[in-house]
This record gives sequence, C-alpha cells and structure tokens, in this order.
Amino acid sequence: MELLNVQHLRKSFGQLEAVKGVTFSVKKGESFGLLGPNGAGKSTTINMITGLFPPTSGSIFLHDIDVVKQPKQAQKRIGVVPQEIALYQEMSAWENLKFWGRIYGLNGSQLTRKVEEVLEIIGLSDRAKDKVSTFSGGMKRRVNIGAAILHNPELLIMDEPTVGIDPQSRNHILETVKQLNEEGMTVIYTSHYMEEVEYLCERIGIIDHGVVIASGTLKELREKMEDRSRIKLTIDGVKENAADINKVLAGHFSEKEFQFQDNQLIVFHKEPQLVLSELVHSVTETGTRITSVDIVEPNLESVFLHLTGRNLRD
Amino acid sequence: MRRIFPILSLHLKSFFKTPAAFVLMFVMPVLFSWIFGGMSVNSKQNKPVVNIVADRNETNTEIIKLLKKDKNFKWETETLKKARENVSNDMVIAAVAIPEDFQERIIGQRALFDVILQKKSQDYQALNAYLQGSARLISSSYQAADTLEASFSDVLAGVVNQKGIVVERQTIEKNPDNHVQVNLMVVGFAIMFMMFGLSGAASAILDERRNGTWGRLLISPARKGEIITGYLLSYFIMGWIQFAVLLAAIKFMFGSSWGSLSYLVPYTSLVIIMVTGFGLMIAGIVKTKQQAMALNSVLIVSTCMLGGVYWPLDIVPEFMQKIALAVPQSWAMSGFKEIMSGSLHSGILLKDILALLGFTVVFFAIGLRGMKFE
Ligand SMILES: Nc1ncnc2c1ncn2[C@@H]1O[C@H](COP(=O)(O)OP(=O)(O)OP(=O)(O)O)[C@@H](O)[C@H]1O
Ligand SMILES: [Mg+2]
Repeated sequence: MELLNVQHLRKSFGQLEAVKGVTFSVKKGESFGLLGPNGAGKSTTINMITGLFPPTSGSIFLHDIDVVKQPKQAQKRIGVVPQEIALYQEMSAWENLKFWGRIYGLNGSQLTRKVEEVLEIIGLSDRAKDKVSTFSGGMKRRVNIGAAILHNPELLIMDEPTVGIDPQSRNHILETVKQLNEEGMTVIYTSHYMEEVEYLCERIGIIDHGVVIASGTLKELREKMEDRSRIKLTIDGVKENAADINKVLAGHFSEKEFQFQDNQLIVFHKEPQLVLSELVHSVTETGTRITSVDIVEPNLESVFLHLTGRNLRD
Repeated sequence: MRRIFPILSLHLKSFFKTPAAFVLMFVMPVLFSWIFGGMSVNSKQNKPVVNIVADRNETNTEIIKLLKKDKNFKWETETLKKARENVSNDMVIAAVAIPEDFQERIIGQRALFDVILQKKSQDYQALNAYLQGSARLISSSYQAADTLEASFSDVLAGVVNQKGIVVERQTIEKNPDNHVQVNLMVVGFAIMFMMFGLSGAASAILDERRNGTWGRLLISPARKGEIITGYLLSYFIMGWIQFAVLLAAIKFMFGSSWGSLSYLVPYTSLVIIMVTGFGLMIAGIVKTKQQAMALNSVLIVSTCMLGGVYWPLDIVPEFMQKIALAVPQSWAMSGFKEIMSGSLHSGILLKDILALLGFTVVFFAIGLRGMKFE
C-alpha cells in the first residue's frame, strides 16, 4: 500500500530552483533513502513534505491527505527529525521529550510511559534529567530523534540525522532506525553517506541539483552499474598525461568505462582482477608513475559517480 | 487549543530558569522602588518636630488637639525653657506658645500664637500657613461661642471633634500626593523593567528560530494560532506576575493604597498587553537576539525618559510634554495616576485607554507581521 506520493515537486527560492520536479512514492513499512550531495535539494524536498513551506508546484499526498492543503492533518501522522538539532537547550532531555510529546497530543500516564520508553530506545535514561546543553553532539542527535518518535508516527522522516557525530552514536542511531523500521514504521532517510543508505534503505532515490537522477532498490541501482567495480589508479601528473593515457586505454576500453578525476584514473569493470595487470602495464608505458591502486566493489558511490561524474562527497 | 498549554508552560518555565530574567523582573524593580520610594517616604516619616508651650486649661487642651490634627508635624508639649533650648539647638523647627492673654488677642484681632524660631525654613513656611488657618478657625469658634452663649472651650471641642473639619491647608508641601507619587514611581520602574523583561522574552523567538525549535513547532500538529497564543499568554502572565509582586512589595514597604482594584486590574492588563506588543514588534523587525537587545535598551530607556517614567512630566518644558504624547508610557502613567490617586476623571482615563489601545494595535500589527512562519 502506498503511504506517501510525491509528484513533480518544484521549489524556487527567488532565482534559484532548488527542487526541479521530484517524483517518488513510499510504501507502507518501507524504508526509503534520499541520497545526494550537499545542496542537492534533500532538505528542501523534506521541508515540503513536512509542510514547513508549500511547493512552488507539484503535489504531496499522505494516504489521501493533501499535505499541501491540509498540512496539520498530515503532521499528526508524521514524525520529523530535522537536520539541525531542534531542542530547548536549557531544558532537560526529559522536559524536552515531555514537551514534544504533549505537542503531539500525548498526556498523562501515557505520556510519561512513552517518554520513558523513548529514553530507553535512545539510550539516555540515565541522563534524562540533565540539560540538553550539557550533552555531546551525538547525545543531542539522539534526543532530536527521540522527540520525533514519541507519538508512534506512521511515517518517520529523518533529514541527515547523523551529521557530525562520533561513529558510536552513529551506529546506535542507525540500529535504532533499522529496529523501528523492522517494527513497522515507514522511514524516509536522507543522507549523503551512501553507507548509511545502503545499510538502512530498501529503496533509494539519488538526487542531484534538485532532480532524482536514479531510483530503485539497491540491487536495481547496482544493476545500472552492470555490477562493475571501480579500479582507482592514483597517478603522478595524471592531468598532464591524460591525452597519452587516453590513447593507450582507448585500445582496451570503451570510452564509457574510464574517466579522470582529480589525480585519479577510474576504470569501471566487471572483473577488475582480470584487467588490472594489463591496465597497470599500459599506464606505466606512458611514462607516468602509479602511486596507489584501489579496487572498489560496486556501490552507490559508484552509481553516483557514474551518473554525474562527481563524487558524493567533495 | 489544548496545545496552547504546553507552549505556555514551557515558556514560563524556561523564563523562571533564567536567573537574569528573574533579577530584571523582580529584584531590580523592587530594589529601585525600595531605594527611591523609601527616600521620599522616609523623609516624610522623620516629621519635623514642633514644640507647644501652653498652660494647662480646658481651652488650651482643645487648641492643642486642633493643632495636632496636622499630622505633617510631630507636636510635643514642652516648658518654655526647654522649648527655647530645643529651638536654639535646632532640635525643633519652632515652638508655638499659646499666650495667657489668648482671648484678649482674639478680641483685639492680634496674632494669636507666639512663635519662637531660629530660621524661616521651608517647614516653618508650612507651619506658619497652618497656624494662620488654625487661628482663623479659633477666632470663628470664639465668635460662635459668643452668639451661641456657650463656653468657648465647648465650642472648640465640638469643632475639633468633628471629623469633617480639616484645618485650612495652605502648605506648599504636596504631601497628600506623596503616596501617589511614590506609587507612580514604582509603577514607572515596573513598566520599565517589564518592558526589558518582556521584550527580552519576546526576542527569545529569534533564538528559537535560529535553534530550530520554531521550525519544529511549525511542522508539528500545533496551529499557528495556538503557537502565537501560547507565546503571548506566557508573556502576559510573566508581566502580571511581575506587576503583582511589585504591588505586594509596595503595599508591604510603604503601606500605600492602589486605588480601585476594579479599575487597576483591567488597566494594568492593558498596559501589559501593550508592552507585550512592543516586545513582539522589536522581535519582528530585527534578525538576532543581540540586535533585539540593543534596540530594546535604546528604545526603552529613551521612551521611558520621554514618557515621564523617571520623573513627572509636570516638571519638563511644554514641548517635551507634547513629545511625550508620542510614547505609550506617558499615557500608561497618566492612567495609573488617575486610578491610584482615586480622582478617576473618566474622560482622562478613557483617553489614556484609547491611546494605549492604539499603540497596542500598531505594535501587534508590526510584530505579528514580522513573525516568520516558514
Ligand atoms: N530558504 C532558502 N532560501 C534560499 N535558498 C535556499 C533555501 N533553502 C535552501 N536553499 C538552496 O537550495 C539548494 C538546496 O538546498 P537543500 O538544503 O535542500 O540541500 P540539501 O540536499 O539538504 O543539502 P545538505 O546535504 O547540505 O543538507 C541549495 O542551493 C540551497 O542554498
Ligand atoms: Mg539538508
């Protein structure tokens, strides 16, 4: 069953068109990842879905609720983890959760129970009475998530919930989200970390410059790569010798299969082991020096690179 | 509407958690009032002492009672010798002697009292005026006794005991107004500190916008109306708590009266709403809390000066009084004066109320427009 349906979403900020016709849908119980580099339009898309501002054009439906027209109806069923930590710093974790719980319509013993339960989930029961301002970045992020799940939302939308935190907190968060999803909560997760999206999401949309450039299950996206690994050769003076290298490689690979990036030559191939020695040999022939060789299994990063010629992270 | 309450209580709570706000809203105004209000009240409590020198007889007893009706002085009966000493030692401002030939002097229309003094101080001017009035009253009573064929002391006693009789007062002192003055000063401080406190609180919206909780509220099921109402109600309550504390403090410290509560309560509410609007307006036209604080300080202090919060407007030149009409504090103070002095000219009060309403509407219009909902 389809829970969220987003059609031809556009948003302009003055001259700048941040989102240029985004279309996707999310099924109930699914975890959907929106992967894209900084400034791709992830947050802008999310902000329209959560009803913070209306789209310039396009439609958003949660079940049959028109989110653009009746945002308050939809917002009751959505839990949002904003990209920025949105908590009252001078209040304790307990007070913050209690406040957001009440805003989402909980009260009385049900509220208390829920707050305790969420504190347990985010692993902060022992710090509940401490001011949020005294927390580490990772702990704040966890409270930030806690505030979004108090009311058992049908749809949990998370906008880069792991930005700038230690690996330990990050793992905790990822596991928590995975758990919630396995218990039946539908999740939309945006990130520019492909590992997170790969780990969490059944279906993925890759967004760049306000456009979804590819979408599908991890498997489908990998198939787009025709299961090709990446061979990354770091070469001294690759730029100066690009023409020579080009010439040498042209005999062995089709143009689509290799590209230059910074001081690297990247070659896409299904069976990297088979071509590696030949490749190294050819490049060395041009008189350049290879300083490192790296083979990367097909992943979302390579999909993005393949589609845009750029890395996800700069 | 049930989401108003959590927002309201959160803001009250966070307000009372901020020690600075606490100091600003309660400690400072009470301290200021205590110091400045105390000054003018204390000067009144150390009443100037006047000695009375008189033989003991029925008539003199009544005259002394009459004199003692002026509570602005402390009257002490002394022997002539001691009284002279007191005057020369500056212990008393003067000694008033009731002469033995008192009745003859009435008939002869001569000065009734002999006054011993060293210098004609301001207090003496007041005393002198009072003595003149009393003398006139005494002579009239003497004539009345004559026509009524009653004894002079009986008639005097009748005059003295009559509650309604107030001895003519030509004093230059403004003592009857003293309490109102003190009250107004305290109210002035209350208004100023409330403006600081509430606009500080209102500028917290700017902080909230920056730290994301504002955005989070907007995408929660809480409606705009609920959010705004929650915020504004919390400011209103903060303002009232501050005012109520001050009212209590004033009563406790100076024992002064507040005029009719049925006027004071709604009027104070209006002033608090106006001040809330002011804070909202400032928060609406600047970008950061720091800017709001800076603008607040400048605007509040200057308008309080212009509006007669620090000193009565009667003492400033006329053009300044005209300028004062452009700031809400002058109207607020004027209304408080009407209510607390008990004079309650409904015309003046109505004008004050209408002016305050006008300011309130303008402030809110600007303030709410500046509240960003995206
Ligand atoms: N309120 C705004 N006003 C003007 N421009 C905006 C606004 N919000 C976003 N933009 C612009 O829209 C583009 C998309 O921004 P957005 O925040 O959606 O990217 P993002 O994918 O979430 O990036 P990040 O990973 O850095 O969070 C950017 O160029 C950004 O500068
Ligand atoms: Mg973003």
